[in-house]
Amino acid sequence: MTTADRQIDPRGPRLGAFVPLTLSIVALVLGPGLGAIVIFAILVALFLPGAIVGPQATAQGWVFRTFIRPRLGPPAATESFRPPRFAQQVGLVFSAAALLFAVADVSLGFFVFAGFLTFAAFLQGVFDFCLGCEMYLLLKRATTRAA
Amino acid sequence: MLLRLLVIGALLTIASLAYVWWSSRQGRVHQVIAAAALTSADLGISPGARGTVVVFSTPLCAKCPGTKAMLARVIEDYEGVAQAEIDAAARLDIARRFDIMRTPTVLVLNANGVAVARMDGAPTAVQAREAIDALPPLSGYSI
Repeated sequence: MTTADRQIDPRGPRLGAFVPLTLSIVALVLGPGLGAIVIFAILVALFLPGAIVGPQATAQGWVFRTFIRPRLGPPAATESFRPPRFAQQVGLVFSAAALLFAVADVSLGFFVFAGFLTFAAFLQGVFDFCLGCEMYLLLKRATTRAA
Repeated sequence: MLLRLLVIGALLTIASLAYVWWSSRQGRVHQVIAAAALTSADLGISPGARGTVVVFSTPLCAKCPGTKAMLARVIEDYEGVAQAEIDAAARLDIARRFDIMRTPTVLVLNANGVAVARMDGAPTAVQAREAIDALPPLSGYSI
């Protein structure tokens, strides 16, 4: 199967979302500071391969394939890697923004972006709802001029 | 510390309520009054004799493949109903004309390409049947 139509098990990205969810909640509780900087540096590193290649390239994806998937039955359906890759790109942007605000010691910016990330990761992990994917068409409509 | 935990709890509660509200709306069948029409050039296929269900998708739509497969099964029970797909991100002109805000959105068009029903968000098979039932029966079918 080519990368153009690569299909993945949708349970992988869904379970994987609990990693940024847990880490960003811890960072929010800690507040901007060294701990939060370390956490968001880790998150940026985790999101980077997923944002460039796709969710199959993330550390969470590897854990899912190696340890979790063999214990589960086959998925009810597979899905394209493109929606979860877009979600990883959104996660990368939010994490990088939160990291920059934490480094610059701008509390408001840090809490806004870390809060966004928590919100989106929560919806993805708990409800299998891809916030970025839902926003995609609206963003496209808003940023492209009428033909 | 406690205040932050409370704020995080409130944030996640809001996210949950927003999701419940969103999912209760998705797929609801709306009758369309005075809508614009789509031509076979827009659809990429010739419309069905009774009507056409059109799925608006994007390459990043997670629920669209499932919706397309479900509709393909449902329309097997209807004579003269065809299925088409439009990439809303590629055809923003059509997306704006029909005010497509999210994907999948499904339009049910009559034989002339005029929308008679629409469902915003992934519908269930029951909702899809309800929308297709809004089509007038095949004219001249019994003759």
